Amino acid sequence: MGSALYPSPDVMRDAIEAAGAELVTVALRRQSPQQASGSRFWELIRELNVRVLPNTAGCRTVKEAVATAQMARELFETNWIKLEVIGDDYTLQPDTAALVEAADILIKEGFEVLPYTTEDLITAQKLIDAGCRVVMPWGSYIGSGRGLVNKFALQTLRARLPDATLIVDAGLGKPSEAAHAMELGFDAVLVNSAIALSADPPTMAEAFANAVEAGRAGYEAGLMSPRDMASPSTPTLGTPFWHAGT
Amino acid sequence: MSSTAGIVGAGVLGRMMAVELNARGWAVSLYDRDTEKGEDSCSWTGAGMIAPYCELEAAEQIVTELGVYSKDKWPGWLERLAEPVFYKSLGSLVVAHPNDRDELLRLRRRVLENAPRPDIMEDVGIDRIRELEPELAERFRSGLYFPFEEHLDNRDLMRALGETIRRKDIEWNCGTEVTAVESNAVVIGDTRHTFDWVLDCRGLGAQPDLPHLRGVRGELLYLHAPEVNLSRPVRLMHPRYSIYIVPRAGHVYVVGATAIESDNRGPITVRSALELLSAAYTVHTGFAEATLIESSVNCRPGFPDNLPRILPDQGLIRINGLYRHGFLIAPALVDIVCEFIDEGSTHPLAEGIMDAWQL
Ligand SMILES: Cc1cc2nc3c(=O)[nH]c(=O)nc-3n(C[C@H](O)[C@H](O)[C@H](O)COP(=O)(O)OP(=O)(O)OC[C@H]3O[C@@H](n4cnc5c(N)ncnc54)[C@H](O)[C@@H]3O)c2cc1C
Repeated sequence: MGSALYPSPDVMRDAIEAAGAELVTVALRRQSPQQASGSRFWELIRELNVRVLPNTAGCRTVKEAVATAQMARELFETNWIKLEVIGDDYTLQPDTAALVEAADILIKEGFEVLPYTTEDLITAQKLIDAGCRVVMPWGSYIGSGRGLVNKFALQTLRARLPDATLIVDAGLGKPSEAAHAMELGFDAVLVNSAIALSADPPTMAEAFANAVEAGRAGYEAGLMSPRDMASPSTPTLGTPFWHAGT
Repeated sequence: MSSTAGIVGAGVLGRMMAVELNARGWAVSLYDRDTEKGEDSCSWTGAGMIAPYCELEAAEQIVTELGVYSKDKWPGWLERLAEPVFYKSLGSLVVAHPNDRDELLRLRRRVLENAPRPDIMEDVGIDRIRELEPELAERFRSGLYFPFEEHLDNRDLMRALGETIRRKDIEWNCGTEVTAVESNAVVIGDTRHTFDWVLDCRGLGAQPDLPHLRGVRGELLYLHAPEVNLSRPVRLMHPRYSIYIVPRAGHVYVVGATAIESDNRGPITVRSALELLSAAYTVHTGFAEATLIESSVNCRPGFPDNLPRILPDQGLIRINGLYRHGFLIAPALVDIVCEFIDEGSTHPLAEGIMDAWQL
């Protein structure tokens, strides 16, 4: 889960606990311009006993992202980094070329890089080639709440990258969309606005958690393939057999 | 014999407490490490909006209740002060660019869910916007108008409260660092000054005694914009760069504010300045010719639920967590505290901020 936009830190804590989230992202740049340690907000997150995933939100170049990741490693005492390199300010669409370059540099420096990317297969493949074990494609634009806009491409990612951990990051607006992502075989979802900006974040967080469970269970149990029911192949009940096939 | 009060912290709250207790016949001593001007206080930075309904976007109902109560008290308060204060009762206007209309709808929905009465918010189209803020009608075709909101010049208020205190029989100790705040005592170095009641109004300065208190950094800019004519606070809703523009006398506009989870009180960052200025420019292109006369930064004192607290102890009462609502709710807090320490009774609004004080 993300840690931005909640009405208060208390509500954020309740929501994260209600969801049972294991990873919580923190924006280094926004949270503390100069220092993170000693900040009360940071302590609050630490008290939640979740793994903190600092991100490079707001970075626009490889250099900025790498520098921010290095700062985050020191401040949050973790080598995990959610890598974001933004190419467009309004939609926050990732600059995938810069992303791959930054991932490559950071992995060589010993980071565990979780890159925020688009649904593009080739980019995902390059990120994995660079050494990413997790790839986080968007569902749709950050904060848009539009769900999984390109399901077909997400399905392709799952099919073609069976060994990668895949997380849908960004764009989820409803619990049902989280369930859908999990049904596609994704390993997790990352949610912020949909929960933080709802009227009742803890309840919404729980709804998302239930949806994730349901979607995952559905995936594991094996979903039936949809059937084309347009033309009956056998007589339907209640239809005299001599009418069938005519 | 009159009761005695030692008030620590001369932000908006400490100053108002001093004036009120003095009026009630108390012998009051006020302490602050800052100068009389109070430039280090959060109250010096605050934008001075009294906007109980717009704040429903993120604030809890209780803040609205305190705000609505306080709203009616402000005119009386300003009449009591030794100097005039720039204060306008013109409502506030909320707009969004066409692409960001969803943000407006979200605010609208949130306010409707929590509004105490339906007439506090009005959907406005281009004609109504032209009536309210003629210079915005070209750019914005729809918005929300909150008719019953006010704004005041926080620095005028601090000055007028200061002048009032000086003219009354109140002992004001500026430049005095208080070492500790205790039951019935204000400790300065090795000296203990004893009182019937000590009021801890130190804002973030009370952090050593209130470990849950945190700072939420807020940055804002003062612009002198002769080409811009806005008469009321205008809020621009945006998925990331929401801002407000609050008019002061003489074409001065306060553009704010960031909200960053941090205790850092260092100067405004370039990023924040760019965000505030670009957003202001999209509201009114006249800001391009404005001069940037000042930036102001401070941290809002907030508890984890962002609600204020009045925490009474033996001969010591702490009032804190005013967060982004100090001007909005101060008159109510003053009344709740006075009713408790002066009359020994519990104000109806105390529930929720005095009871639910376990943090
Ligand atoms: C950018 C920004 C915009 C805001 N806009 C609004 C708005 O539009 N409307 C609104 O209602 N609110 C607004 N606020 C919030 C408002 O400014 C605060 O809630 C309010 O000022 C808090 O007042 P206070 O008196 O509790 O604390 P402060 O004003 O911080 O006063 C505390 C005083 O205690 C003194 N002190 C502390 N420790 C010691 C010590 N040990 N010894 C001696 N003195 C000490 C300090 O020097 C200081 O003068 C805004 C805040 C910010 C930062």
